Amino acid sequence: MEIATSRGGRISLTVFFWLLVIFLYLPIVVLAVFSFNDGDPSFPLSGFTTHWYGDVVSNRVLVTALGRSAVVATISSLIAVTLGVLTSFALLRRRFRGKPVVSALVFSPLVIPYLVFGISLLLLFTLLDKVLTQSFGFYFGLGLHSVVIGHVVVALPYTILTILPLLERLSVSLDEAAKDLGASPRQTFRRVTLPLLTPALISAFLVAFTLSFDEFAIASFLAGTQQTWPVYLFAQLRVPSLLPQLIAVSSVVFIASMLLVLSAEIGRRLAERRYGRDFSARGLV
Amino acid sequence: MATQEAAAPAKQWRRRERGVTAALLSAPMLWLLLFFVAPVVYVASYSLGAIKLFPTDTGVISLDDWSRFLGGGSIYLGLFWKSVRMSLTVSVVVVLLAYPIGYFLALCVRKLKYVLLLVIIVPFLTSFLLRVLAWKVMLGDRGVVNSALVSLHVRPANDPIEWLLYSQFTVMLVLAYVWIPFVALPIFVSLDNLDRSLLEAASDLGASRIKTFLRVTLPLSLPGLIAAFVFVFIPTIGEFVTPLLVGGTSGYMYGNAIQDLFTRGLDWQSGSVLAMFLLLVVAGLMAIFGRFVQVRSVAAD
Repeated sequence: MEIATSRGGRISLTVFFWLLVIFLYLPIVVLAVFSFNDGDPSFPLSGFTTHWYGDVVSNRVLVTALGRSAVVATISSLIAVTLGVLTSFALLRRRFRGKPVVSALVFSPLVIPYLVFGISLLLLFTLLDKVLTQSFGFYFGLGLHSVVIGHVVVALPYTILTILPLLERLSVSLDEAAKDLGASPRQTFRRVTLPLLTPALISAFLVAFTLSFDEFAIASFLAGTQQTWPVYLFAQLRVPSLLPQLIAVSSVVFIASMLLVLSAEIGRRLAERRYGRDFSARGLV
Repeated sequence: MATQEAAAPAKQWRRRERGVTAALLSAPMLWLLLFFVAPVVYVASYSLGAIKLFPTDTGVISLDDWSRFLGGGSIYLGLFWKSVRMSLTVSVVVVLLAYPIGYFLALCVRKLKYVLLLVIIVPFLTSFLLRVLAWKVMLGDRGVVNSALVSLHVRPANDPIEWLLYSQFTVMLVLAYVWIPFVALPIFVSLDNLDRSLLEAASDLGASRIKTFLRVTLPLSLPGLIAAFVFVFIPTIGEFVTPLLVGGTSGYMYGNAIQDLFTRGLDWQSGSVLAMFLLLVVAGLMAIFGRFVQVRSVAAD
């Protein structure tokens, strides 16, 4: 006898599952369909067109916003991954007092409301500018650099969560073998640990990148006049004539980010499989 | 080299070890202290009036703003409870919808379970703003649903269903839509880690399926359930983007009040009080429920 469900229960669960999948994907599919619709986004469909996509390319402001987001996402992810590697090593390979505090601190950006974090940084930078301009005539200001600072903080826990599981499976004995063979700590790191860790680093980068690329709340407070893509998108949503164009870009961004995330996920799983299935869940987090 | 190390006093070795740890942790800790802890502490002290940022600020430490906020008849406190009600509703609905999904994937599907899990989760990993936008396109007066109803001659062209967009209902619908994929994950993990032999034992001892579920499966998956609940409740209580896009005036939430105080009202001190209060609520929730929330379960395993 199947214990978890009866036959009927199983069938209804299957139906429920696929209904939910439809619910989850329908709005996205509809959005994609309307990006090819020659007219307002409403029924009946008025004909096939690709000119919304053409309009996007010639919309300077939009392209600039996309570019800004790409820059912010790249820089903040690189920093977040670097800090994430350092923290992961410390949490997993080092013994020190206050580890629970460090661990709580690095993971707390997971639960802070981004709204609260955004205004906190806004207040901090405002104060900083007041002090700096008065004493040194230096203006820090709001802009992409401020957004990068905020995004690193919120991306950091995600990078650690991506790196830790793989690092956990990398046996310390590999490092020891390298050491025994005469490698310096630096050589060991560069020639043994880092190459083995690369898949996790790539997927951590992609996770951080997608997070930053589409983050709105923090960016809306910190971007100032340099609107990133989500901030721009949000501001333009009130202009109905722009809607089809926005839908077109959105579809592209949507598919791109889906592919990115999927490849990150598949890459990570392949790497984890390659290093064997030794699930050594240590009570760290 | 090895002999040197052995010969060196243990003290020196320990100092070097501590140096390595410090070197690893200094950059991340510095970043978080400067750009995470400091701003939050700063907002806390600003909400108490301890810092003079604008000429209008008093610069005198007082609890005035806090007592005005917490006092009877405060509109912001009322708004907070409204948001709590909305978030609670959303969290309950989402958990109720996601539980069968987690159950189905963990206990009824064998080979394809991770693939199907990915099918559920992928929408969550794509743009939040776009998913909300999709619903705006779906539900507007001339949106997909209304125009489809008109095309099918179910409703006359000049009489769209207005409550579809810009209502409390829409905000909750969209929030539920946004969070279901995410919540399926911790529930799936807790059910997938369940020891199957316990279920077999219950069945061998003559328990019916329902009894097995109520006495074995459900209690054992409770931590995942609570984690899922907290994972929806915390972000939705501070939500302000969704109400802005699909909420209209009746969907206005606590987070919108905070944003308005900072961007329109320019009453940063009251805004700080509201923000700190929200943060304290979240911290309180984490203190109570934190032990159920295995951070690791987020990392898609």
